[in-house]
Amino acid sequence: MRTSTPIAIEGYGAYIPFYRLPTTEVARIWHGGGAGANKEKAVASSDEDTTTMAVEAARIAVAMAGVEKNLGAIFVGTESKVYAVKPTSTIVAQALGCHEILAADFEFACKAGTEAMQVISGLVGSGMIDHGLACAIDTAQGRPGDDLEFTAASGGAAYVIGRSSRNSITKILGSVTYVSDTGDFWRRQGERYPRHLSRFTGEPAYFHHVETAVKNLFTEFKTKPSDFQYAVFHQPNPRFPVEAATRLGFTMKQIETGLLNPVIGNTYSGSSPLGLAAVLDIAKPQDKILLCSFGSGAGSDAFILEAQEPLIEKRKMGVPVRDLIENNVRIDYGMYTKFREKLQR
Amino acid sequence: MLGNKCEKCQAEFFPPVNICRACKSIDLKPLEMPGAGKILSYTLQKESVAGFEEQEPMVFGLVELSNGVRLVAQIVDFPYESLKIGSKVKAVFRRVKADGPSGQIYYGYKFGPPRSPRETSATEE
Repeated sequence: MRTSTPIAIEGYGAYIPFYRLPTTEVARIWHGGGAGANKEKAVASSDEDTTTMAVEAARIAVAMAGVEKNLGAIFVGTESKVYAVKPTSTIVAQALGCHEILAADFEFACKAGTEAMQVISGLVGSGMIDHGLACAIDTAQGRPGDDLEFTAASGGAAYVIGRSSRNSITKILGSVTYVSDTGDFWRRQGERYPRHLSRFTGEPAYFHHVETAVKNLFTEFKTKPSDFQYAVFHQPNPRFPVEAATRLGFTMKQIETGLLNPVIGNTYSGSSPLGLAAVLDIAKPQDKILLCSFGSGAGSDAFILEAQEPLIEKRKMGVPVRDLIENNVRIDYGMYTKFREKLQR
Repeated sequence: MLGNKCEKCQAEFFPPVNICRACKSIDLKPLEMPGAGKILSYTLQKESVAGFEEQEPMVFGLVELSNGVRLVAQIVDFPYESLKIGSKVKAVFRRVKADGPSGQIYYGYKFGPPRSPRETSATEE
């Protein structure tokens, strides 16, 4: 998919909560010891949710873009909406002081955030709006004792997208999407935790959709892995993105910057957008970046991006993802149950 | 965090005031507060009123913003034992309270630690 008018990222912001739960804590409680594949996961405090994290990331992105109240749309992509009925996007818009604006929440499991980026791209590319904000945020849920509890984490990123100009920080050269009806992971209405079918999680879901989307992107835009300096994939665990990247012909050097799961876990909708933010924190002008999300149910969005000269100065207005990762406090399983409302009083 | 500023004597206020406390002028203009500052004093509250139970124990601090304006706010994300008078803080957007599990959620500002050397330098402006 290409827009008739060239589009670009004008600003980005990342947010990772302060607290970390070592996966040895989950294993200690439920498995008698050991650890998960990821070392730790980021845990939102009891007064944090998708809305608060979206506002924190959005404020940085909007300031970096310098668009203030000139946004035409705000979309929040998440599977952990704070209200079942009431938009998160309007609360973010209010916090930013924006009112004459299109606002909506998107849901597509872990690719809701990149889906929001796709739609903002279309609105900007068609000329309907000048600038739009896509927030990719989650406070991921994992049933106590379930495998998901090792990785289900909190965090995300926000992107302001506008028409490509000499002030743009990263061009969006194009994207593709691939979807199918695949029952790998879901949460029914009214249920607190998602369910997953393990044998559908890997090959039929993650690998099939990610690999198909990226291969389609290669074909449509006549590119190959060696054309990219960086590649970022959705990260449900530390292994899947490495395996998918290797199968597609990417090297560890290309993916290691955006591979955050080992230290913060799976931030669901925020996962690949946060990885992209980590890449933008260090990318050089003209570096090409591949971004590929995956959302259960299932689908993948793949993008080709190209860093631009203004990125070097403008990213100094943001908070580096590495600082958000390294500046943390570890908690035990007891504090985690309090923070994530797993205790009843 | 929208406060205001006296056009006559330049005094700044948060929350906004109708009459300048310094010169009594009514010529005041809205002004966005800096959102960064330091803790002048703090206390730990172990018992809270209804609606705040999930956040107990709560820390409250007297914060001086980088423009000199002082306010009282909830302090979050500091392990209590690490909190000090003079600790650098920045404004964060958080849940203030909720009307039970089915009611409305209320949001507002609190103050937490800077997450990056970039933010720490901002608090020293």
